[in-house]
Amino acid sequence: MTERSAIHESHADLGARFVDFGGWEMPVQYSSVLDEHNAVRSSVGVFDVSHLGRFSWQGPDAVDALSQAFCNDIARLQPGRTQYTMALDQSGGILDDIILWRWSESLIWVLPNAANSDSITQICLDLAPGATAVDLRPMTTSLAIQGPEAPALLERLFGVAPKRGTIHHVDLDGAEVWVAGTGYTGERGGEVVVANESAALVFAAVVEAGAVPAGLGARDTLRLEAALPLWGQDLDASITPLEAGLDFAVSFDHEFTGKAALEAQVADGVAKHRVLFETEGRLIPRHGYRVRADVREGWVSSGNFSPTLGHGIGMAYIDGPPAGDLDLEVEIRREWHRARIVDRFLDR
Amino acid sequence: MDFPEDLQYTAEHEWIRQTGTGLRIGITDYAQDQLGDIVFVDLPEVGAALERGAVMAEIESTKSVGEVYAPFSGTVLSVNADVVDEPELINQDPYGGGWLVELADVADDGDELLDATAYRALVE
Repeated sequence: MTERSAIHESHADLGARFVDFGGWEMPVQYSSVLDEHNAVRSSVGVFDVSHLGRFSWQGPDAVDALSQAFCNDIARLQPGRTQYTMALDQSGGILDDIILWRWSESLIWVLPNAANSDSITQICLDLAPGATAVDLRPMTTSLAIQGPEAPALLERLFGVAPKRGTIHHVDLDGAEVWVAGTGYTGERGGEVVVANESAALVFAAVVEAGAVPAGLGARDTLRLEAALPLWGQDLDASITPLEAGLDFAVSFDHEFTGKAALEAQVADGVAKHRVLFETEGRLIPRHGYRVRADVREGWVSSGNFSPTLGHGIGMAYIDGPPAGDLDLEVEIRREWHRARIVDRFLDR
Repeated sequence: MDFPEDLQYTAEHEWIRQTGTGLRIGITDYAQDQLGDIVFVDLPEVGAALERGAVMAEIESTKSVGEVYAPFSGTVLSVNADVVDEPELINQDPYGGGWLVELADVADDGDELLDATAYRALVE
């Protein structure tokens, strides 16, 4: 059974094409992926991201009980802030990457990927059977408003331009709105959750205020340029946070599932590591293409044409721990091509 | 969607125009629309002999990777170098500035071609 956003009709009226993503039929593009991408880089765009998981989690000691579930330290997450974290299996593999919004000592929102919503809810409930988990997806719509002009738009419409990593509960003439300074594009802006009853009006107001409707196609090229990994492609249970270079979201100060495996990797070195690379001209690396660096082998986890840079970019996993300057090559249509490893794609 | 009456079409979403010297080939308005923004084009060498069904061009969009197959055996008479530098020409003008390849010495070994009405019926 395919789910739809509460504002599906609004998208259809704007000429959207839809794609199935994690069991949800969501807009992939309206006019052009490139135009939507460029709008977010140069002004402001709005994405319907209602497919993303979001459940509230509440109860005495319920938040503390989740410490075991995630590799980042939930005790360090202050009310009013967000935290990027991951759920791991016993071998340290990434079951999901997740954003937490902490509203108070006893209430947080957990935002897993669409496809993992049920499994992550279950992991939490197994740790704290007495807690209350409420799936917010059936009753709310989630919009990502991103771009250099997004803060001003958010301020104008919702009365708050959220700082990165902060959350705000806004009463808008009786309609509740939840705003976070988060995103998946490398731009400023935020994500806004509204009740389904007001979602079509809010979406129309955001578009009226100048945001270009943008689909999941542009969201993917934007997040790739921002070097942000996508679970299911760049992250999965065969990859640990240390291999993915997500050490900043691992805290060894607390107990969590997979900790021993990560400690062993710290001691022995990682089995593979994630790199960012650029290709010459319009040669485009794609998911699954092979890479090599001398005797090391690997594969492209994400790749595409970078609209901002005008050449191919990608993420790849290479055997072994990071080691100085690797001469990377990528196989594109049965030919090996030089690629250049970089620290980041965009200067920002 | 536009399917000019003076062109012929294949079921693989190519258009074909008879020229004085051979057959000019590109992809249809429907094909470019399905692919989305085209960002990479690779074309054969001029003079290359192509068998019917061989890969004649590689086209990549932000969404996908596609191949265009030779509808007939023939020799590559010329290619449109403009689309290599500006792949978006295929989106903007699929039947004009977005043409791909011109074949000469064409063999009569392809499938029967469709007229505009029949092709429209196929895709709509």
